[in-house]
Amino acid sequence: MGAYVVRRLLWLIAVLIAVSLVTFVIFYVLPSADPVLLRAGKNPSPEVVQSITHTLGLDRPWYVQYGRYMERLVLHLDLGRSYQNDASVRHLLWDRLPATLALAFGAMVLWLLIGIPLGIFSAVRHRRAGDRVVTGVSLLLVSAPVYWLGLVALYVFSADIGKLRWLEGAGSYPTHGTIFTNPGEVVPSLILPWIVLAISFAAIYARFVRGSLVEVLREDYIRTARAKGLPERTVVLKHGMRAAMTPVVTILGLDLGILLGGAILVETVFNVPGIGRLAYDSIQTSDLPMIQGTVLAGAFFIVLLTLVVDLVYAFLDPRVRYGQGAP
Amino acid sequence: MRRLARWATVTGTLVALATFGAACGSSDQGSTTASQGTSVETVPQGVKGGKVTVLAAGDVDFIDPGQTYYAFGYMVDYAVMRPLYSFAPGTLDTAQNDLAAGPPVLSDGGRTVTVTLRPDVRYAPPVDRAVTARDVKYAIERAFSANVPNGYAFNYFSVIEGTPKEPTDGVKPISGLQTPDDQTLVFRLKTKESGTLVAALVMPITMPVPPEYAKPFDAKSPSTYDQHVAFTGPYMIPNDPKTGKITGREPGKSIELVRNPNWDAATDYRPAYLDGITIQEGNTDAAVSSRRILQGSGLMQGDNAPPAPTIKQAVQRYPDQLKFVPALGPRYVSLNTSIPPFDDLNVRKAVNAIFDRTAMRLTRGGAIIGDIAWGYLPPGFPGFAESGGLKPPAEFDYLQDPDGDPELAAEYMKKAGYPSGRYTGDAKLLTAAINISPGSQTAAVAQNQFEKLGFKLNFRSLSPETMTTKFCGTPQAKVAICTNVATSADFVDPEALLKPYFYGPAITPSNNANWSELDDPKINAAMDAASALPPGDERVSAWADVNKQIVASAAAVPWIWDKTPLIASKDVQSLGNAYLTSWDLSFTSLKP
Amino acid sequence: MSEPLLDVRDLRVSFATPDGLVRAVDGVSFSVAPGRTLGIVGESGSGKSVAVSTVMGLTRGARGATIAGELRFAGHDLIHAGDEELRRLRGNELAMVFQDPMSSLHPLFRVGDQLVEAVRAHRPVGRRAARIRAQDMLGLAGVPEPGRRMEAYPHELSGGLRQRVMIAMALVNEPRLLIADEPTTALDVTVQAQILELLARLRDELGMAMVLVTHDLGVVAQVADDVAVMYAGRIVETGPTRPLLRTPQHPYTWGLLRSTPRLDGPRDAWPVPIAGRPPSPIAPPAGCRFHPRCPSALAPCAAIDPVLQPAGDGTQRAACILPAAVREEERP
Repeated sequence: MGAYVVRRLLWLIAVLIAVSLVTFVIFYVLPSADPVLLRAGKNPSPEVVQSITHTLGLDRPWYVQYGRYMERLVLHLDLGRSYQNDASVRHLLWDRLPATLALAFGAMVLWLLIGIPLGIFSAVRHRRAGDRVVTGVSLLLVSAPVYWLGLVALYVFSADIGKLRWLEGAGSYPTHGTIFTNPGEVVPSLILPWIVLAISFAAIYARFVRGSLVEVLREDYIRTARAKGLPERTVVLKHGMRAAMTPVVTILGLDLGILLGGAILVETVFNVPGIGRLAYDSIQTSDLPMIQGTVLAGAFFIVLLTLVVDLVYAFLDPRVRYGQGAP
Repeated sequence: MRRLARWATVTGTLVALATFGAACGSSDQGSTTASQGTSVETVPQGVKGGKVTVLAAGDVDFIDPGQTYYAFGYMVDYAVMRPLYSFAPGTLDTAQNDLAAGPPVLSDGGRTVTVTLRPDVRYAPPVDRAVTARDVKYAIERAFSANVPNGYAFNYFSVIEGTPKEPTDGVKPISGLQTPDDQTLVFRLKTKESGTLVAALVMPITMPVPPEYAKPFDAKSPSTYDQHVAFTGPYMIPNDPKTGKITGREPGKSIELVRNPNWDAATDYRPAYLDGITIQEGNTDAAVSSRRILQGSGLMQGDNAPPAPTIKQAVQRYPDQLKFVPALGPRYVSLNTSIPPFDDLNVRKAVNAIFDRTAMRLTRGGAIIGDIAWGYLPPGFPGFAESGGLKPPAEFDYLQDPDGDPELAAEYMKKAGYPSGRYTGDAKLLTAAINISPGSQTAAVAQNQFEKLGFKLNFRSLSPETMTTKFCGTPQAKVAICTNVATSADFVDPEALLKPYFYGPAITPSNNANWSELDDPKINAAMDAASALPPGDERVSAWADVNKQIVASAAAVPWIWDKTPLIASKDVQSLGNAYLTSWDLSFTSLKP
Repeated sequence: MSEPLLDVRDLRVSFATPDGLVRAVDGVSFSVAPGRTLGIVGESGSGKSVAVSTVMGLTRGARGATIAGELRFAGHDLIHAGDEELRRLRGNELAMVFQDPMSSLHPLFRVGDQLVEAVRAHRPVGRRAARIRAQDMLGLAGVPEPGRRMEAYPHELSGGLRQRVMIAMALVNEPRLLIADEPTTALDVTVQAQILELLARLRDELGMAMVLVTHDLGVVAQVADDVAVMYAGRIVETGPTRPLLRTPQHPYTWGLLRSTPRLDGPRDAWPVPIAGRPPSPIAPPAGCRFHPRCPSALAPCAAIDPVLQPAGDGTQRAACILPAAVREEERP
């Protein structure tokens, strides 16, 4: 198992290198907006344009730039400096991470708390009225665009502009402190974003749990559990869910990995200063080093979470074993 | 580059060439009167104290005065630093003496410009000393160095003797900038054409930078002075008292402004009522942030203009919380005169005639948002009245009807050789449009107008940055039509609104602002002549004439002289600064 | 004659499906006395598994299921009993072992934990006591090193061991009746014998009754006291094992015997399969359900639906209208 983990970590590094290369090529070689020109003013002479290009280090061939970038990254863990304000990319990413972590994990807890019971309920009431209601509602919520849900949530519940001023609205995330150092201000500001994120995901998870559990409840070992005289609740919740959860854990890992790269839409509409909003801002300003940084961060989390999921999977399902020639 | 929805682009400074004001600023409540009788408007009930939060979508581009070139950066910079001359809210005609003690003095037929500085302006800690002329000299010199990428130094200040042809390696002295003593700054020019330079003295490049403090930062490439800016205005951003490193700014999140302890109100025309200002960034949804401002307390708008429906609502429900400032130039649709069929004057006139400019204006909010434009000098700008004012002169028959004149358009098409009155060629005209609202709606209306005349468009919907840098700004891209362009004056002189956009030699291979690629020898010559004139009425008239010549060339379809709406909460009172095209933070107060 | 432990009378179990009403069990009656073993034999589709599952109450929740008839176990009316009453019986006095131990054991729980669970579902004992009991039961079921095996997961055990575990799990609460549905079908032949022997031994040691469902007459021969042969949802022949095997009374039973390979027959005697296929449970043939495949069928067989009648030596009964003399002749 240890050898397996080491192999996977090496793979993680390989993926990150590949991602950094692809991102580099896309943004540096084919940028949608030229950061040099955004600074060059009106009708600049070619000399001025050339000078700015040189100052930003963009006049080298792309592979030279990439080499320097990777050298800085590998030797000094330095992700470069933002074009926008010369801040260290690594510092900014680190600074924005707590907000994204708080948003992602908080939402995750919420959507699991809502989605799983609903999925179980739906599976047990398979094809009957209860199931149809839950399935129908979750279909609606899955289809609702997250940004729209966010706006609706603000217009209904936000303390400053909503109809029912129950919850803190956009921009209430405090300028200083994180959920660890300043929970009193951070938590209330995240309740609406958590709910909005959780609603979409809860619907997905309810449907997924339902499907998985319905399949599991058809299995022979469920029949055995009943034959043993176990209460139905134990059969479903212990025997059924234990088997049904493994595919759910796989998706959960993936979803979490993606969210940790930044829930751009939710962070934007609620003005939560996380990695997602940082990515959005940096794309707006063609801040190439920052874009590269956020993309790498996103890739890192996805690959890491995939590894975690695989390890958890091995833990959950004893039939899965890595390393001894297992697939 | 024009300010877009929430994206501040190049702003202009409006410098009245007629007079430079001399408000020496005793900033007690009520209006500030200057020694020469020009008064500065202030808020009716300004009270000292309190804090306000500004809701912004994006971040400033730079605090560094040598690098900032976008409206939002200006909004902050002009509250924390003082250039030689600047504009108080409401006065587009008169530039106030700011760092300068009096108006610039021209001598030697205009070849020498002398500015005398006040002796009593001090930097905030840690620099903590009086500002000298050498600081302004250094500020200009550094803008010519490669480490301080500046977007306009070469365009407007190259007339100074000794300025390099291309950005220098490190900050080099400029021989034409002389400081015989601490308070005197002398500009020796290469020619007598000082008009442009004088007008440009309101730009951030003249905000002082202490050389002994800034040199180590300017030695880096790019310069790191942006994180160590020295402050001279009524406000400052909190910094480390020893190193000067700015601590009150979290990029992408917020900027804090606090009072500058070394600012002396007696030296400034600004009242600076508030004790502190917080700029909260990341409010990208304009509808949400506008609502928060209008319904909340202690809030005001940053760079994010409210959407049209909110403006309508504000006009009806919150009229006291809404003000307008004129934008610095018209919006128009450019026609590339180097690409057929737009190389034909009659075709261009036909396009002008067919355009329903009222419909275009509706996409931005209708009549409240501005006047239908016919020329390139907007209301309130020098040269506007001289060109003819709001109504287009009779000779421009193709611009008389704001709703469009189809018959006239057909006539012009016939004159151009299309007997049916419609375009029958098979060119597919590459059209660059913006993909965000309301620009996208405007582009759709514009497309309709062209199609009325039978044109077929290869319509590309692009992000604002892509549109300006890769399409419209690159002549090589051969874009025939740019639907969402606008002029924007860097300073208050008609040259700023006409030359970069319609002067043949101004065309550059990248970031070209002459989107029409107009290169008419007669117009070029007229511009050269007008540019050479010294500041004054003759210069204004000459440029007004150029304006009319450009309109006569029908190189574009101007459609609105719009106004920028500004909103604030009901307990906040402020003045809009027409030069900054935003609220003026130094003239903002809570209601008593 | 003691009161039968399990008494099934005219059990009918049908399922409503989109294709029509499936009559899986169509009037089945049998009984099992305490300590006796009944073997139920039939092809797949004969309804034998549905019948015994219904006894356990496992068909109750199925979609579109209709259960009718009488079903008594140890004084309980299993058809009308409440869910809780049934639950208390299952795994306790009434236990079941299933065909495929790989899929019938929960793959994600340790074997020992599954056993402990079975104990504690019905006995108010602590974990430690339950574990001891579970381990003892494993030992009794012939699992070597039971203490170590408790920690194993099902996939870590061989087929034979798994079935021993299942049996241990079913017997851990000393049921009065064990139903074994094809307990050896999924196992190797060598292991099969061991398992059957185990079942027989445990049955004797615990004094329990057993119902053994199988398609294999050989299995029945070893273990059962009585046999019931099922076809198309009905019982077509019953009787004590020895007489039934020696002198079967129903043509279907003859077919089954003929199709079973025998060690003691001539070397080149191939097993003879029964021609045709089992009938559709939705639309069974008119008259005797077996008659389309019966080599001895007569004309009236297509019209008369026979009921079980005494036959043979009196202890046997068969549902066939063939006269006894004809049967004597036709029997292989």
